[in-house]
Amino acid sequence: MSRTDADESLLDENNAAFIQDGVSIIAASRADANVPVLAQAVGCRVSPDHSRVTVFLARFQSGALLDAVDVTGAIAVVFSQPGSYRSLQLKGTDAVVEPLESRDKDRVRHYISLYAAEIAALGFDEMFARTMLACEPADLSAVTFTPSSAFSQTPGPGAGAPLLAAS
Amino acid sequence: MALSVDMIRDCLDGAVPAVLATCASDGTPNVTCVSQVHFVDGAHVALSFQFFNKTRENLLANSRATVMVAHPETAARYRMALQYLRTEAEGPLFESMKARLAGIASHAGMSGIFRLLGSDLYRVIEIERVPGTELPVSAPRRNLLPALRTCLERLSQCTDLAGVLEELLASLAGAFDITHAMVLMLDARGECLRTAASRGYDASGLGAEILLGQGMIGIAAQQRTPIRITHASPEYAGGCAGTPEMMIPFPGLPDAGSRLALPVIGGGLLLGVLYVESPEDLRFGYDDEDALVAVAAQLGMAIRALGDAVGDRAQ
Repeated sequence: MSRTDADESLLDENNAAFIQDGVSIIAASRADANVPVLAQAVGCRVSPDHSRVTVFLARFQSGALLDAVDVTGAIAVVFSQPGSYRSLQLKGTDAVVEPLESRDKDRVRHYISLYAAEIAALGFDEMFARTMLACEPADLSAVTFTPSSAFSQTPGPGAGAPLLAAS
Repeated sequence: MALSVDMIRDCLDGAVPAVLATCASDGTPNVTCVSQVHFVDGAHVALSFQFFNKTRENLLANSRATVMVAHPETAARYRMALQYLRTEAEGPLFESMKARLAGIASHAGMSGIFRLLGSDLYRVIEIERVPGTELPVSAPRRNLLPALRTCLERLSQCTDLAGVLEELLASLAGAFDITHAMVLMLDARGECLRTAASRGYDASGLGAEILLGQGMIGIAAQQRTPIRITHASPEYAGGCAGTPEMMIPFPGLPDAGSRLALPVIGGGLLLGVLYVESPEDLRFGYDDEDALVAVAAQLGMAIRALGDAVGDRAQ
């Protein structure tokens, strides 16, 4: 299911809020010979019309992924809530690596706090999340793409089902 | 130094969900959480195959995959470049992953949804430590090598089977701090496991029976593979239900958080099962399993060497 109209965003309000919450964010792309590469992101921004999604990545941990995105534009990102297993995967073919916008560093800080609180509820010390996601603001890159397909991946019979575009 | 899977296997106990990336034949990437990354050996892992989905389709078209795992204490992350080899839908690897998944599913509130269709076996091409800081590891509860030495030395001094079983359970408690344990012996017909010794239960349960292939104890025996469950799992509760005509209740903990069943083999013959459990979740890790596999092997040899009637059965 491809988007043909900018008004028909794949992301409704609910899912746009979900992917900007304290969920785990893992991005993947393809390197040479279709070898998959992946890295964990440290936050997400959704454009006001929900048509564009940006994830933030620490360059020192994500070199292969950023290179692959740069060359291919291909991206898949899974957003997963640790406690509930609710999961959503977005894919795009026009991903670009960009510098951060002015408020993005605050977004990353806020995201790390949300994620730490989310997994603290599962018994992990807050330092666990802060250590895992530790990064230097100057080392962050943004990867922006237009979601061209979206899939619910919450475990169960509906796992893998494509989301219908909101109209 | 190149990393091998055994060096990072604490990351494979499922406390932090792993994520798996694959690519379709047209290069479209796909990324998903995976319930279980199972240690096979230093160069192989097995992943749980639970649903027919895009990952499945991709693997069959393009065998390359990348999985990321995290250490549950240090927060260190590792990326493993993988090559899919094959899927096993029966046998020791499958049964031990199926039992483990039941514990994971129950812990996640996903009983009845997480169901193992197969164990996907992968060759590990390379392991990369994701750059970053890490937290210190807490001191281990016991140093397992000295515990193993103590236990094996005590077993080697025994002159009869009763003494072996007594020393075994005493040193599991004293050296390993494992206070709920039992040994079940395979009966002469090779159909039924009977509790021969136990420690740490209100009722000893001596004589309580489990059929071969029944519950995690019976499956461990039938498949001749250790089965380790890291969270309470009703499907495998108590290790088993007894035989229908069973008169003696099985002595196991009703709500164990961790369970480990190890086949006892001596001279190539299945002799019984060593079973340990704990009220705590995640009590037994890969290293505990290895140490107790060594204990079970020594027990098997002791049973054969002492020429007890149980060992004679197999002649």
